[in-house]
Amino acid sequence: MGLHRFKPLPSGRMGTLWTLATIHGAALVEFGCMGHMLYSGVTLKHAAVHDGCRLYSTHIDETDIALGDTTRLNHTIANVVKQNNPKVIFLLPSSIPEVIGTDLPALCRELQQDYPDVRLLPFGYGGFDVIKHRGVQEALLLLVKALPIDIEKTPQPTFNIIGSCADLFRFQADAAEIVRIMEGTFGMKAVSVMTSDTSVEDIEKMGSAHINLVIRREGEAAAKHLEKRFGTPYLLGRPYGIEGTINWLEKVAQISGLTMDSAFVKEERGVSRSRLIPVMPALRHLVRSHPEEATLSLGGHADVVKGILSFGLEELSLIKGTCWCDSPAMGSDDIPYFTENEWAPVVEQHQRGLLMTSGEALEWTGRSSDMQISNPDTKWRLHPYEPPFVGFRGAVHLVNLWINASNED
Amino acid sequence: MKELMHLKRLSAVKSNIGIKFLTPAVFPGTHCPMRIASVIVEDIVGLSSLLVGMQECTTHSRLFSPKPEGKKGELHWLYVLEDKEVVFGCREGLMDALRKMDKAGAKAILLIITCVPELIGEDIEGMIHEVQPELSAQVTYVMLGQFKNFSYPPGSWKTIQALGGLMEKKEKNPLLVNVLGRSPEEDHIPMPSLLPELQARGIILRYLAPGASLEDFQNGPEAALNLVVSPYTQPLAVKMEEEFGVPYIALHTLYSVEEIDKAYAEIAVGLNICWDNCFEAERQEALALQNHAKKRLDGLRYISSVRIDLPLPLAIYLDSLGMTALLLHLEEYYPEDRINAQQLIARGQDPWVCRMVNAEADLPIMEALEPDIYFGYLQIASPTAPCVADMFDFYGQTGYGRTTRLLKRIFETLDETEKSRRGGISHGSSSI
Repeated sequence: MGLHRFKPLPSGRMGTLWTLATIHGAALVEFGCMGHMLYSGVTLKHAAVHDGCRLYSTHIDETDIALGDTTRLNHTIANVVKQNNPKVIFLLPSSIPEVIGTDLPALCRELQQDYPDVRLLPFGYGGFDVIKHRGVQEALLLLVKALPIDIEKTPQPTFNIIGSCADLFRFQADAAEIVRIMEGTFGMKAVSVMTSDTSVEDIEKMGSAHINLVIRREGEAAAKHLEKRFGTPYLLGRPYGIEGTINWLEKVAQISGLTMDSAFVKEERGVSRSRLIPVMPALRHLVRSHPEEATLSLGGHADVVKGILSFGLEELSLIKGTCWCDSPAMGSDDIPYFTENEWAPVVEQHQRGLLMTSGEALEWTGRSSDMQISNPDTKWRLHPYEPPFVGFRGAVHLVNLWINASNED
Repeated sequence: MKELMHLKRLSAVKSNIGIKFLTPAVFPGTHCPMRIASVIVEDIVGLSSLLVGMQECTTHSRLFSPKPEGKKGELHWLYVLEDKEVVFGCREGLMDALRKMDKAGAKAILLIITCVPELIGEDIEGMIHEVQPELSAQVTYVMLGQFKNFSYPPGSWKTIQALGGLMEKKEKNPLLVNVLGRSPEEDHIPMPSLLPELQARGIILRYLAPGASLEDFQNGPEAALNLVVSPYTQPLAVKMEEEFGVPYIALHTLYSVEEIDKAYAEIAVGLNICWDNCFEAERQEALALQNHAKKRLDGLRYISSVRIDLPLPLAIYLDSLGMTALLLHLEEYYPEDRINAQQLIARGQDPWVCRMVNAEADLPIMEALEPDIYFGYLQIASPTAPCVADMFDFYGQTGYGRTTRLLKRIFETLDETEKSRRGGISHGSSSI
C-alpha cells in the first residue's frame, strides 16, 4: 500500500460489507469504531443502496481495547434483536479488532445460544493482507454455505445471479438487464439476485434455481458450492455487445437445456442494430481513417474490462488501447493490474481515442464522468434506473457513449 | 428509570470515557474526527496533509477531501499501512512519504493519524523529530484514533490546536487581534457586532479558522489578543497563551447579558479602547428578552439532544432562566468542561449525561423522562414536546445578538406549539 494520491484498493472488510449491505431482512453489526459504518453507509447511499441491511456498529473505545472487553457486542446484538428482530445478523470485523485479535466467530458461538431464532453469522477475511475482491468472494461463498435450505427445484425454470454487488459501478442496472433478457429469452424468473436485489429468504431458496449466472469471477467459488450441493450448473461471464449477448444466451441454453425464444432474441437484435445504424458509418470511418481515435482504453474490474473490450474489438473493430484491471489477483497478460502510479499517467496523458475508467480518475483529469465504467465513484447515484453496460441495451448504451466521446475529441 | 442506570450524572464524569451511550446499538452513529480534520486541511490555503490509516479511513476521507491536490499546490495525500507495518510499524514508510511530499513542493504538512497507527503506538513525534531536518516543509501532526476520540469535535479542536505547532514567535502588534473560529470570508454566520466595532477603533482583525491561510496561522503570535468565538479554537488559544504569551478572551461560552458586559469591558481594557455605549441598543433588547425568559421559561424541564456545540455553557445559562436539565447529550468533554460542569453543579443541577447514537431506540427513553422541551436535533420528532432545533445555527455567533436570537428561537418554538395546541382544540374532535 504506502503512499497514495487516490483511493487505495479497498480492504477485504470493505468488500464483505459491500456484498452484504444490500440483503433485505438482515442486520449487520460491525465490531469496531462507528466512523467506518457511518461512512460505509454514506458510500452505499451514494451507490443507490437503500432498504437493504440495517447497518449497526458497536463502537469501541480505549478501555474496551485495553481490557479486551467485548460486552458492547453483546449489548448491541441484544438491542438489534429487540429493535428489529432480523432473521440473520451478519457480524463483521473491523481494523481494530483485527489488530487486537478479537475472535469474532467464538463470540458468536457463545452468543448464539441466547438467540435461538436469530442466526448470527460472523464473516472473516478481515486481515490486513486481504483486499476487496477476496472479501467479496468469501462473503458470497459463506452466504451460500450458510443460508440455503434443502429445497426442490422450482416447477418452472429459474435462475440466480451471483456477484451483483455494490462495489461494481452501475451494478443494479446491469443486473436488471440480465433479469430482463433472461425473462424474455427463456421465460425464467430470478430466485435470488445476489446480492443487489435479494433477501435472506431468497438466498435460502437459491438451491431451487435451475442455473446460476455468475457475473464476476469472485462468485465462482459460491457457484461451485451450489453445484456440488444442489447440482445446479453455472455459467461464468458477463454478456456484452449484441452478438456477445446472444452467445451468452446460447451458453445459458446449452447449460440449462432450455430453448431460447428466438422471436425475442431476433427482436432484441433487430432493435439494437437499428438503433446503431445512424452512427455506424461514423464509427467505421473512425476505425478506417483515424485509427488512433478508435482505440479503446479501459480500466476497472477485470471482467468488466474484458467484456467491454471484446464488444468493442469483435463487433465494432475498435482497436485495443491501454487496458488494466483493479485487482492484483486478476491481472493477466491481456489486462494487467495497474497501481495508481501506472494508471495515473495513462489517464493524464490520454489524448485521443476512447477512455473509460473510474469516476475518480476521470474527474481528476477534468473528463466527463459519462465514460465511467468502474469505481471509485465521485457522484450520487440515487436511483438504479440508469442504462446498463451489459445485454442488448448495454450495447446500445456503450456505442452511444463512444460516438459522443469521439465527437468531442 | 432503569434505562438510565448505566449512565453517570455530570458530577461523576471527569473525561470523555465517563460518558456512556444512552442505548448501545450505534445506528448510524456520529462522525469520525478524521472527517473534520480532512475538511479543515482542505480549507487552509498552503497547508498540505497526509492522512495515515487503513483503507477504510483513507478511502472515506475522500468523501470530504476528494482531490489529491489543492488549487495552490497543496497536497492531500494518503498513506495506507501494509500488513507488515501494522505489526512492525510504519516509521520508515512515513518518513519516505514525507520526503516525497517535500520534494513535490509541500510548504507545511499536517499528519492526520487515524485508529490503527495510533493503536500500534507509532511514535509520530519522534519520527517527525528525526525527519524534519531533511525537509523544507514544516511538519505537525494530530492523533485522531476514534477509539480515543469519540466524535467529530476533537477532529476540529485537536487539528486547529496542532496548527499551533506551525506558529513562530513574533513581535507583538498591539493593534492586531486574532478572531479564533471565524473564517475571513464568512457568509453564512452573522458577523458579531463586536468585530466591526473593533475595526472602527483601529483594531486589525485576523481570522484564524478554516478559510485562513497557512501564513495567517504561522503569524498568529503577532496578535495582542485572541478572541475565541468557537469551541473548536479555545484549545489553540490556551496553547498560544502558554507558548507565545497571547492572552485570550472566550466569547462563545457567554450567553447572559451580564457575562457579555464583563467580557466586553475586559476587551476594552486590554486593547485600551472605549466602546462609547455602542452596543446599548442590542444590549437592551437582549436584556428585555432575558428578563421575559426568566418568567416564561421558569420551571421548564428540558433534554439536550445532539448537534449542540456547547451543551454545558448553554445549560448554565438555561439554569439562570429557571430551566432544569434532565439529560444532556455531550458530544465531547472539552478540556474546559470540568469548569463548566462545576459551575452547573454548584447551581444545584446534576443531570444525567450520555451520548445518543440510535435515534429510534433513544427517543422512547427520552420521552419517558417527560421533558417540557428539547434542544438540538431529533431525528424522529417527539410526539409530546417541542424542540428548539437547528442549534448549529448559533455556531460562531457571540455577544448580545446571539443571546437575542437564541431566546427568540425558544419563544417561537413555544409559540408555535401553543398555537397548534389551540388550533387542535378549536378545529379538532372536542365538542363545542
